[in-house]
Amino acid sequence: METQEKTIEQKAVQAKEKFEPRIVGFLCNWCAYSGADLAGVSRLQSSPNIRIIRTMCSGRVDPAMILRAFELGADGVLIAGCHFGDCHYLEGNFKTMRRIELLKMVLKRFGIDEKRLRLEWISASEAEKYARVSFEFTEQIREMGPLQLQTN
Amino acid sequence: MEKHEKIGVYICHCGVNISQTVRVEEVAEALKSNPEVVVSTTYKFMCSDPGQKMVEEDIQKHGLTRVVVAACSPHMHELTFRNACERAGLNRYLFQMANIREHCAWVHSDVDAATAKAKALVNAAARRVAWQEPLQPMKAKINPGTLVVGGGIAGIQAALEIAESGNKVYLVEKESTIGGQMAKFDKTFPTLDCSACILTPKMVSVSHRKNIETLTLSEVEEVSGFVGNFKVRIRKKARYVHDNCTSCGECAKVCPVRVPNWFDEFTQQRTAIHKAFPQAVPNTYVIDRQDKPPCTEACPIRQEAAGYVALIKQGRFHEAAQLIHKRNPLPIVCGRVCYHPCETECNRGYVDEPVAIQHLKRFALDWEMKHNGRFEPPKIDKKRKEKVAVIGSGPAGLTCAHDLALNGYPVTVFEQHSVLGGMLAVGIPEYRLPKKLLEMEIEYMKGMGIKFKTNSKLGADFTLESLLKQDFKAIFVAIGAHKGVKLYVPGEDLEGVISGVDFLRRVNLGISREIGRHVAVIGGGNTAIDAARTALRCGAEKVAILYRRTRQEMPASPEEIADAEAEGVHIAYLTAPTEISGKNGKVTGLRCTRMKLGEPDSSGRRRPIPIPNSEHELEFDTVIAAISQSPDIACLNGKSTVHLDSTKWDTLQVNPETLQTNVPNIFSAGDVVLGPSTIIASMGGGRRAAESIDKFLNNQPLKDYKTHVVRPEIFRGESFRPHSYAPTYKETPRAPRTHAPKLDPQQRAAIFAEVELGYSEEQAMREAARCLSCGVCVECHECERVCEPKAVDYSMPDEIREVEVGQVIIATGYDIFDASKMFQYGYGKLKNVYSSLEFERMLSSTGPTGGKVLLENGKEPRAVGIIHCVGSRDANFNRYCSRVCCMYAMKFAHLVKDRTSAEVYQFYIDMRAYGKGYEEFYSRILEEGVNVIRGKVAEVVEKKTPDGDKFLNIRCEDTLIGKFREIPLDMVILCNGLQPNKTADKIARQFGLSRSPDGFFLERHPKLDPFSTVSEGIYLAGCAQGPKDIPDTVSQASAAAGRALAMISKAEVDLDPIRAWIDERYCSGCRICNNLCPYHAIDFIEEKKISLVNDALCKGCGTCVAACPAGAITGKGFSDRQIYAELEGILAG
Repeated sequence: METQEKTIEQKAVQAKEKFEPRIVGFLCNWCAYSGADLAGVSRLQSSPNIRIIRTMCSGRVDPAMILRAFELGADGVLIAGCHFGDCHYLEGNFKTMRRIELLKMVLKRFGIDEKRLRLEWISASEAEKYARVSFEFTEQIREMGPLQLQTN
Repeated sequence: MEKHEKIGVYICHCGVNISQTVRVEEVAEALKSNPEVVVSTTYKFMCSDPGQKMVEEDIQKHGLTRVVVAACSPHMHELTFRNACERAGLNRYLFQMANIREHCAWVHSDVDAATAKAKALVNAAARRVAWQEPLQPMKAKINPGTLVVGGGIAGIQAALEIAESGNKVYLVEKESTIGGQMAKFDKTFPTLDCSACILTPKMVSVSHRKNIETLTLSEVEEVSGFVGNFKVRIRKKARYVHDNCTSCGECAKVCPVRVPNWFDEFTQQRTAIHKAFPQAVPNTYVIDRQDKPPCTEACPIRQEAAGYVALIKQGRFHEAAQLIHKRNPLPIVCGRVCYHPCETECNRGYVDEPVAIQHLKRFALDWEMKHNGRFEPPKIDKKRKEKVAVIGSGPAGLTCAHDLALNGYPVTVFEQHSVLGGMLAVGIPEYRLPKKLLEMEIEYMKGMGIKFKTNSKLGADFTLESLLKQDFKAIFVAIGAHKGVKLYVPGEDLEGVISGVDFLRRVNLGISREIGRHVAVIGGGNTAIDAARTALRCGAEKVAILYRRTRQEMPASPEEIADAEAEGVHIAYLTAPTEISGKNGKVTGLRCTRMKLGEPDSSGRRRPIPIPNSEHELEFDTVIAAISQSPDIACLNGKSTVHLDSTKWDTLQVNPETLQTNVPNIFSAGDVVLGPSTIIASMGGGRRAAESIDKFLNNQPLKDYKTHVVRPEIFRGESFRPHSYAPTYKETPRAPRTHAPKLDPQQRAAIFAEVELGYSEEQAMREAARCLSCGVCVECHECERVCEPKAVDYSMPDEIREVEVGQVIIATGYDIFDASKMFQYGYGKLKNVYSSLEFERMLSSTGPTGGKVLLENGKEPRAVGIIHCVGSRDANFNRYCSRVCCMYAMKFAHLVKDRTSAEVYQFYIDMRAYGKGYEEFYSRILEEGVNVIRGKVAEVVEKKTPDGDKFLNIRCEDTLIGKFREIPLDMVILCNGLQPNKTADKIARQFGLSRSPDGFFLERHPKLDPFSTVSEGIYLAGCAQGPKDIPDTVSQASAAAGRALAMISKAEVDLDPIRAWIDERYCSGCRICNNLCPYHAIDFIEEKKISLVNDALCKGCGTCVAACPAGAITGKGFSDRQIYAELEGILAG
């Protein structure tokens, strides 16, 4: 019995070690996506676990898209837009902020830890911030383990 | 829905940029599993001609309906491949790019992980592209106008290039002259051209070009629109000098203000009306008026207090008196008995004590009367027929009569007493305002043609009705408040009880000076103090003031209270009478109760509450009730059929703005409206009423007044400065107020001679020097007086310009690094340590030393050190190289050698002489014998020689010989690095520009497009984009102008059709999207009960798409289906 438990534990640890989180990043065209571009041009290493989808504005991201990402197997979702006052579309990022706050409340009801959804403001010059956030978020999700959605 | 597209997928190696981290062949192979992918291949350089050809040929050969290229960022080459698709006959929007370079190969080192990620990204693009739809680009006309922001050499060059083509340019500059930083230089490297000689001709040609509109003192406030169609709102601050200025400079000679000149890096003083430098363009003077002086703004008649104080400071007493008299019809009165709200608001009062503005005013007028006799009444050219009656000759009546007479109206003033002046004559005692001075003021008004009728009492001798019958077209009622308010305590009708105003009137009119031996004065206002001090002078033995609150709440002026006490008046605080006791009908004493202070009442003062059982009896034979006065309005309406509305406080009801009563041609102001108020407030009312009457008689609407309204108290925070060049309150050196001498209290208490004696000339000038020149221009009107072409105009308003342009060039330049942040170099603390621009000004012939290199003590330096890289190439401040410092340091070295016999030491990290002729210039300087030390300076300190002479000592490491060195110097010049202009943040937000990590504006591509931004139609020129020298700046400006001209020639531009679109069939008309759109691009169509997008206004952000609960809104180019397909692709496998 004891040995069996141990192997389960070991298996879990092994799974965690092997676990590579799958993270979707929705980045706005003007600030965050350009910031990630700058990270590339500057050869700043970032986490390969984040795969980026470009939208014109973070305000384009429909909360349903985030839910769909989790449904399709994403372990984390990053939304990144312009700093307040810098939005190319004046105030899209404010709307994003409100939507994400609301969505976080909904996520709990789906049994998804709200920490799996992260909102960041990254300007076109903040390549270092993008790189840092990518690693931080990946490590955080790695720590949390794979998302297990209950399906009936 | 079944879809069968034929997709071509092309993976780029980008040389080895991608292929060394991503196994590109494996990615291409993986894509083949998608049944819709017809071609999946790789190529060394997809963006090259053969790469593009490959795509084009495949489209034709295989009939591809969709194309994916996986390479660099779409910001780099999306356009390239869209064009390739179009050339092959495929709609340009059926192309999708996967970013596997910037977002993958370049940022990952793990080949497996990078390859897996690349597969996911390309797969996502392939899935997405299948759902993309053919779109047509939108066309927009290009407005041929260009806005250039910044009038330095970059802006000037760009403006001239564009203007050459005949197109319109708006050149916006925030300072009063164009020229920017380059105008401050003396010489330019490496050719040692005179900077002014090469720049000023360009500045002049800007002013000569008809199609360049130069907007100086202007800043962009708001930008809207898009490429080809920008709308820009510009605020042009008032210059206060019109274009007909001949630049003769007479105005600056008479200006009494001195502040440091920004153009000279604050090394030289200038006047408030000034020209930044002799060659400034536009060649027009400008008045530096920041905030209006608070003393002037606090005055109800807007007397230019700061102006005459500044003139007195310079010893120009005659001019000061003239200035006072121009605005103030009762200057002598105000100089003595004004309540002086100017001093209450004086900024100096927040440092130590307010400037003694009132004493200074009195001094100027006393001086004028002593030296030039009385004021000559002005000749009035205007003549009006309409007669105006003024009832009451107090401050309100006199001011109104004066202003109307100046406008040519025949004015008659009716006065009930035998003397003129109203409360000034009957209320204010002789020892404060000698009667002969008041008479002088009235003589002056008589000289203006104003008629006075004394002993004419309204209600008794005439009525409003009778005046109207006598053909007075307008009446001004200013009968004041002459009725003493009763105490309402028992015993008030006893003999020996008198009201304060009655007592003062009796004494002032010379009717009787009779007074008892023991006098009690009830009240705490100035009338109570006046009554008490007058009682003393009339022979009372003991005078006491009883006041129910404490000294803090007392409305009388603190100085008056102190004077009264010095003369022997006793003041009993927290004491109130409850009954006046008497015997045989005469007063024998007062029954009083003690008070304590409770909660604050509506006036903000703490309410007095009687203390129970504290009643006590005091002995007096006279009681003067001076608690308040009220208007006697019974006389107004008694016999007259003309009825004026009054309030419950027995004051007249008037419109507070127009001062019009319920009868249209009758106006009123002063105490009869305000209740007992101040002289200056009454004068303000009289002035406003005169303007109203003038408007009324001209049949103009009663609005758009020119007369002043006192502005609410200004907020002064910790870091408040009286003007932008002044120190904060905390940093301002303290200087105590100069007190004017007074008669000795013992001596004066018995006589009616004037107590205040006034300043001497020396005292007045010393006191006036305490003025902080708030707002720089103090409005002395001297420049206005001497200006021959009459170009000075204090009333010039700020102007708002709305311009429409097709493109914008940002040329906002740089500021130099603030060297005081590197405290080890002593900048701002040690003498003879200069910033680069300060030294540039010293070298200039128009600078503080006229071009000589001199120490602070006026001597020539023996050794000069030049420190490179101050704030540049420094991880603590700016990491980047400022690119120009090495070379201007060489220029400085040469000029110091040229103009002095000093030794020169250069302290550098690396010598960067990278431009044409630069290395040769460096060699030449070395040959001139300049000492060059490689090493960063550790510190600059001041030391003394054994003789006590001070010198600067530099400690540094000489890395070439590997030793620490100490070098004694007389002068140190810092090579401040360049950093973005302080307006960069604002400009970035207004124009939606990004900035690189160094803070300079981000270019579209650092190599291939260094003068464009990602925002179409907005270009960069000069140091706004990054530090650069003059040749590079000029080249970049010309390039930006060239790009703008190309757009203008094209006349039309293609816009990405990324727009929101509402499917009418699904729109439920909920209108959620309407309010969400920041551009108000979505209209609700009332007839159809649905919303529709206006394509011209929509910018395609997609926030409405994300919010539509019915899913009726589609983002063209970013539809839900496309994003979901991309999401599925990214997470598949």
